[in-house]
Amino acid sequence: MASITLGRYVPYKSFLHKMDPRAKIFALIILMVAIFLPYETYAVSFLVGGIIFVLTIVLLWIAHMSFLNLLKSLSALWIMMVFLLLIYMIAPRTTDFYAFSIGSWKIYWDSFIEAGRIILRLVLMVMISMILTSTTKPLDLTDAFEWYLFPLKLIGFPSHIIAMIITLALRFIPTILDDVQRIMKAQTSRGVDFEKGSLIAKIKAIISLIIPLFVSAFVRSDELANAMECRGYDPNAKRTKYRKLHFRWWDLFETFIVLLVFGGCLYLSISGFNPFNLLGIATI
Amino acid sequence: MKNVLEVKNLSYTYQGESVEAIHDLSFSIPEGSYVAIVGHNGSGKSTLAKIISGLMLAKNGTITVFGEELNKENLSSIRRRMGLVFQNPDNQFVGASVRDDIAFGLENREVPSGEMDSLINEFASKVSMERYLDSAPENLSGGQKQRVAIAGVLAMKPDLIIYDEATSMLDPIGKKEILDITFGLKKDNPTLSVISITHDIEEASRADYVLVLNKGKLILEGKPSEVFKEKDKLQSIHLDAPFLLSLISSLKEEGVDVPEDVDTLEKLEDFLCQ
Ligand SMILES: Nc1ncnc2c1ncn2[C@@H]1O[C@H](COP(=O)(O)OP(=O)(O)OP(=O)(O)O)[C@@H](O)[C@H]1O
Ligand SMILES: [Mg+2]
Repeated sequence: MASITLGRYVPYKSFLHKMDPRAKIFALIILMVAIFLPYETYAVSFLVGGIIFVLTIVLLWIAHMSFLNLLKSLSALWIMMVFLLLIYMIAPRTTDFYAFSIGSWKIYWDSFIEAGRIILRLVLMVMISMILTSTTKPLDLTDAFEWYLFPLKLIGFPSHIIAMIITLALRFIPTILDDVQRIMKAQTSRGVDFEKGSLIAKIKAIISLIIPLFVSAFVRSDELANAMECRGYDPNAKRTKYRKLHFRWWDLFETFIVLLVFGGCLYLSISGFNPFNLLGIATI
Repeated sequence: MKNVLEVKNLSYTYQGESVEAIHDLSFSIPEGSYVAIVGHNGSGKSTLAKIISGLMLAKNGTITVFGEELNKENLSSIRRRMGLVFQNPDNQFVGASVRDDIAFGLENREVPSGEMDSLINEFASKVSMERYLDSAPENLSGGQKQRVAIAGVLAMKPDLIIYDEATSMLDPIGKKEILDITFGLKKDNPTLSVISITHDIEEASRADYVLVLNKGKLILEGKPSEVFKEKDKLQSIHLDAPFLLSLISSLKEEGVDVPEDVDTLEKLEDFLCQ
């Protein structure tokens, strides 16, 4: 099986796992907005980012996430980091903090600060999403998603069908990945090389993978449709639900805390209040 | 006795094909019986199963299930009383876990959520899958998935079960277990009828009736002991009689009077040792 570890559900019994997925999705969206709110100064931006960072680390630890995994999935951001830094070095500066110069090219600190802020935001986004996906079963996520689409259902949008499609897609990802491996092995034994060769040879190799893959997927979907029909599935009929989402007191508590944090951030953003000024620390 | 299924003059041609996949088929299946349908690849067995379950509509011929002639209007009510298990266990696993898969059919039947758990537990343990309730399909073997498929069908309490080569992907032990489960169910519920499409001649020899299909035509039908007597006819379509039944008929030819109720090797052994 292919190794998709990034953000995969990790079965464990933490309170994060027990939480209502709807509350978790709500918290995710609210926290992301809080992170991306415009703040008057860099210092406040980093303060807010830092607080949320510490919070997410604690939550990741509670959820028994492997930090090694986290670092691995964040490692993809390195390239982006360098790229952003380069862009901000070229971009016009906003403040006047001279850092050093390479030849006649003056580098200012703002490049680093600006790039750092964006990186911090990205890292936080990845981390928060990972908390959600690693503590919530895909099925529960789908259910929560369907719940959020409820208003659309009122105007005739088939959210339950969309949810079923997502559920089936998730269910068949491992099966299709197995197919990929099986077909690759079969084609390799017929002399197809998936690793080396010219561009044309590579394209040919990919086609020799994709066509059987599609054929197999179509056969599967046809049989699946038959099986579902035989088991009485009718997309338009009323169905009962085996899994029910439960919004409990701790979900309310969590939502309350998240809203509190968000309120604080919103206040900082709108009023431009700088807590560092109170302490008499000069900031940028 | 009532018939669960009556097929009259059924013919079916796939779109764009010139030969009929099913040709003028007529037979009936009494309630509470276990019927095996055997025949070579491409003899039209799956086609027949799909027509009986209403997945495909035949233009010629009539299908009467539970005393009602199958048509578009009563299809869903008839289908509520039958369950199909297909060959490929992967492609009929709908849920993200064993639990969810069994629940899928129950949800369709609008079983109240509160009653589902007990049904799931009951039928998972019937197929000895109770320890895997929370396992994902990719972590189960083919045989285990097939058992879940059977549990999912059984949980809906059908009166007619159709297996379309449901055990062909299983090893001999898995096959025997499924067979034993099915016979066990029939013992609990005498009105349950089973149609099993199979390549397994030994399974067919345990059935009440055997239908032999060849090129869409019914060429033999009757009790296993009668059907498998017709060695020449079977040989002409490259089917072998099961070991036990050929042994018994050879013994009879030699003048040994084997009683009718001998249906396992053990019983034959006991009889011969007397
Ligand atoms: N979708 C289809 N379109 C056209 N022809 C088909 C289709 N499915 C089956 N056939 C043809 O109909 C005939 C009967 O096929 P069917 O699948 O019913 O055989 P079977 O007895 O189930 O065989 P097997 O033992 O391999 O499962 C075959 O000749 C086959 O080629
Ligand atoms: Mg078939």
